[in-house]
Amino acid sequence: MRALIAAATGLAVALALVLAITAMGLPDGRTSPKPLLTTVPAHP
Amino acid sequence: MRRKAGLVLLALAVFFAALSPLLRWYAFPRLAKVPPNQYQDMVLEAKGATLLDYGTMQARKVSKVTIVQTLKGNVEASKKVERTAGRDVVVWDGLSYVQGPDGKTVSEIPERYIFDAHSQEPVHATGEMVDGDPVRRDGIEFKWPFLTEKRDYEYFDAQARATSPIRYQGTQNFRGLTVYYFEQTVPWTKVPFPKSLPVEGITPESVAKTGTTRWYTTVRKFWVEPVTGAPVYGEEIHKEELRGGTLLGGRDRVTAFAGHVKMREDYIEHTVSLVKQNRTVVLLLTSYLPWGFLSLGILLLVLSLYLEARDRRPGRSAPANAAEPEPVSA
Repeated sequence: MRALIAAATGLAVALALVLAITAMGLPDGRTSPKPLLTTVPAHP
Repeated sequence: MRRKAGLVLLALAVFFAALSPLLRWYAFPRLAKVPPNQYQDMVLEAKGATLLDYGTMQARKVSKVTIVQTLKGNVEASKKVERTAGRDVVVWDGLSYVQGPDGKTVSEIPERYIFDAHSQEPVHATGEMVDGDPVRRDGIEFKWPFLTEKRDYEYFDAQARATSPIRYQGTQNFRGLTVYYFEQTVPWTKVPFPKSLPVEGITPESVAKTGTTRWYTTVRKFWVEPVTGAPVYGEEIHKEELRGGTLLGGRDRVTAFAGHVKMREDYIEHTVSLVKQNRTVVLLLTSYLPWGFLSLGILLLVLSLYLEARDRRPGRSAPANAAEPEPVSA
């Protein structure tokens, strides 16, 4: 019974961690202030 | 105490073993996406190209034609489209700027490409356009999906405003990276004139009145890193002609542009280095971490079973200082 509880705890924590990370997602950031280029850049 | 350690190890074993498939099949498809604020530029060159001089209407050989391609993620526009599309969307505002050998503008073609941030499938929304003309993309453009497959894809051609297959032609090695080579041939197709032409006073409308039309063909080649879906190198064998009408002075056709367009060396190096970094991040979620966690889970499970077995071994569980049994006397 104790082993079952330990396994269930491990599974629940893994699920919670992955759900939390994916729910947070990645920040969108802001549109770059750099212009669309009409000159040839010297380097990348 | 040993029994408690065994249970903790079992919990950790299940935790890591469960984390492995969850990362690969739940987290990765949700976390891997093109950021909506990405900004990138690319310089391509066609050395020894043929270019039309719109002043004399004669084609001439030039030392070099340069194409500067900029893609800029429009975060505000992507949020607006996301509200109706109900999924993560990227809006790229792009500009293909073509410059002649004298530094003068040959053409400028803006476009707006809207696509799903995870799958790179096109998303249709108001504002999707090429050179101001509303278009409907039914294929990818610029970037392949993450975990690109060895198959043909539908690819949108901005000049023809049409989608057609781009063929998978094999796996190659490009500067230490395994890449998939794709090729698309666009046959001679009548295409619109750019809205911005290199001679003042000449507009697409005034050219249309002369009856002259613009035709184009290209062989498009991409070397795509399959984990990230990012092209690390590209080439185009590109030809454009003006045909018919009064503008050509009795000639049947005249070459407007012909050249073998290739990425500039410094941009190739930069792209390869960037893709190598991004590839490691994607592999972390699809391979390194899932396999690492699974191995760790199995190891911890074995360890916990070993502790449990040792705990249950006869003689080990009995107290060490147990009293000797008293002799029984009759």
